Amino acid sequence: MNSTVASEYSSEIHTTPIEHRFNPYSDNGGTVLGIAGKDFAVLAGDTRQVEGYSINSRYEQKIFNVGDDIVMTANGFAADGSALIDRFRNQLKWYKFDHNNKKLSVASSARYIRHLLYSKRFFPYYVSTLIAGLDDEGKGCVYSFDPVGSYEREQCRAGGAAASLIMPFLDNQVNFKNQYQPGSDGTEKKPLRYLELDEVLELVKDAFSSATERHIQVGDGLEIFIVTKEGVRTEYYPLKRD
Amino acid sequence: MAGLSFDNFQRNKFLVSKGFGQPMATSTGTTIVGCKFNGGVIIAADTRATAGSIVADKNCEKLHRLSPKIWCAGAGTAADTEMVTQLIASNLELHSLSQRRQPRVITALTLLKQHLFKYQGHLGAYLIVAGNDPTGAHLMSVQAHGSTDIGEYQSLGSGSLAAMAVLETGWKPNMTKEEAMKLCADAIESGIWNDLGSGSNVDLCVMEVGKDAELHRNYLTPNVRSEKLKSYKFDRGTTAVLRSSIHDVLDVEETVITFGNDAMEVDA
Amino acid sequence: MNTIASQFNNNNRNHVHHEINESNGGYGGVDKLELTPTMTLPPISQPTDFLRAHTDDATNPDCKIKIAHGTTTLAFRYKKGIVIAVDSRASQGNWTASQTVHKVIRINPMLLGTMAGGAADCQYWETWLGTQCRLHELREKERISVAAASKILSNLIYEYKGMGLSMGTMICGFTKKEGPTVYYVDSDGTRLKGDLFCVGSGQTFAYGVLDSEYKWDLTEEEALYLGKRSILAAAHRDAYSGGTVNLYHITEEGWTYHGNYDVGDLFWEVKSQEKSFNNVDG
Repeated sequence: MNSTVASEYSSEIHTTPIEHRFNPYSDNGGTVLGIAGKDFAVLAGDTRQVEGYSINSRYEQKIFNVGDDIVMTANGFAADGSALIDRFRNQLKWYKFDHNNKKLSVASSARYIRHLLYSKRFFPYYVSTLIAGLDDEGKGCVYSFDPVGSYEREQCRAGGAAASLIMPFLDNQVNFKNQYQPGSDGTEKKPLRYLELDEVLELVKDAFSSATERHIQVGDGLEIFIVTKEGVRTEYYPLKRD
Repeated sequence: MAGLSFDNFQRNKFLVSKGFGQPMATSTGTTIVGCKFNGGVIIAADTRATAGSIVADKNCEKLHRLSPKIWCAGAGTAADTEMVTQLIASNLELHSLSQRRQPRVITALTLLKQHLFKYQGHLGAYLIVAGNDPTGAHLMSVQAHGSTDIGEYQSLGSGSLAAMAVLETGWKPNMTKEEAMKLCADAIESGIWNDLGSGSNVDLCVMEVGKDAELHRNYLTPNVRSEKLKSYKFDRGTTAVLRSSIHDVLDVEETVITFGNDAMEVDA
Repeated sequence: MNTIASQFNNNNRNHVHHEINESNGGYGGVDKLELTPTMTLPPISQPTDFLRAHTDDATNPDCKIKIAHGTTTLAFRYKKGIVIAVDSRASQGNWTASQTVHKVIRINPMLLGTMAGGAADCQYWETWLGTQCRLHELREKERISVAAASKILSNLIYEYKGMGLSMGTMICGFTKKEGPTVYYVDSDGTRLKGDLFCVGSGQTFAYGVLDSEYKWDLTEEEALYLGKRSILAAAHRDAYSGGTVNLYHITEEGWTYHGNYDVGDLFWEVKSQEKSFNNVDG
């Protein structure tokens, strides 16, 4: 399998020599997902890290509690992901040193991460980034980013290798997309409601066990970070290892 | 004209240059192994088929029959292993009919390598061929370009390194059937766990001299899916009905035709 | 082209040193006001080609870094002000990345910018434009004109010309001396003043509806409906547009938000009300 990104310059015509071998990107697979609830937020991800057809590690943490009850993950190219998270964590630390230990809100964190990502607009971080936490009103929130820093607050978001498998499931089960009230013949939507934490955890586990079935880069273990007003806690569940 | 058609080759190359990629062939990522033992030979395979990084089939069959006592395990492009195997199986049968002899493993191998060489590697079939014939038990392999190998134990496919690691440590001369079965199954399992292209179950085929070949479909099933936590049944009426039209699948027409008053003559 | 690129590069600076400096004095200190922030470039001779090879899914469908694209946006001037309507879909290649994007960027209470092309490019530079407009207010003690605001953006974009930015945006606002004003600004460096623009992959579909129904003397209600209806037409026919419609209205008081309409619901509503879309069952 071609695990690296195609770097085709052959059609370009230049007067100066071209770097053909410079391909700093690789894909380390894995999948992450975040769901916001009424007074909690979860960020979940599998713990497998791959390269090509090989498994680098069956347990490599990729979701982190970066401080101030904000959890963060940057899925895709692992080196870029950890570089981004390290940079953010470092900046958050300096922010607290400089501002009398002030708490950084999730919204401000999101804005700052946009600047981190966009500062590499012409040499992007190859990652899909998610952060989760509680907003200023204590409601759960999830922010998702594209590789160069376009971002949005959302109710739920899947990122990484199996995003295309999980996201439609979430649309249907969290935001009740394409579900109508029985008897209304498609005129009345199923009313939206906040899901309870145990419901969300069941959805997350089912999403990951199903993604493991059908995506070769997903598996080994599932780590879930749960943010509530009590703080951040984690849960771990084994996934299939084939 | 017989053979493959290359009519669209130029067109497809043009389309690719315009950014229209070719559809992806299902490839059997795959771990396959073969191993000889005292009095026969065994081949085994995993059962995962992939299309890119998506699992296309969780329980496919990679063990193919070339003749009743000659089987082969296939890795590479699923369609190619399937078709080339069926073609060679037919030719082997015709050959054995015309020669009035049992088919031989070396014959199957020769037919395969000549066919594959002719297509210069464009048929992506990588096969381990094994079986019994009047000259004894044999284990061989053939690669897409037509080169062949003979050996006491073999592995092929994306999980071949993982499997070979087990074969190299576990293999010894003059194994019993049970030992060889265990070794082959372990080698495949190694591929299942450590190679992303391989997964699900172990299929195994034992070809013992003087006996019929035994296919152990799903010999091991170490990857049974755990039960989902939630039920995803939708209430009736969750989807809107935009239009309904009912067609009779079968139109029943009854016509009674009478032939005068005489009873029909049934039997002369 | 790449000589332009190199002037935004800070390769000579020690990166670790730079990082620490940034974190120590980066917040509102005596930092010089740079026109543009620091951008990291790949350490090779042709950074633009590198970027294209890795992120441009139009020339390389297999590229791994897919940047959000696809849109229909429109804005038009009429008697009572300006109507802005946009869809909310973001696509990365064939994948619909989001159905809930806010493609109208609230630069400040008087100015709105629309977003087509690279989502990050538009979001980033239009919020940046907001800071520039605020600085203008503080320096000049008066609100910036739409002409000036749009020119700040187009000048910025022009500095990056050829480096792969992708934006098609409309800067809309109302000032006393200009009245309702719409400027179209894109990443080629184009900047046009006009009455009516549609931008994005679904622009032709939107123009089709908008041009046939538009007139200067529309009532506010008619104008808002026309904006919404044009986006609906584009969402219906353009695979890369859809989700919901966001509606805005600008008068001399500033902008007002006129709601979010799910295209799925809006379609059936319009179909039964107008008796249009008769090619669709239901």
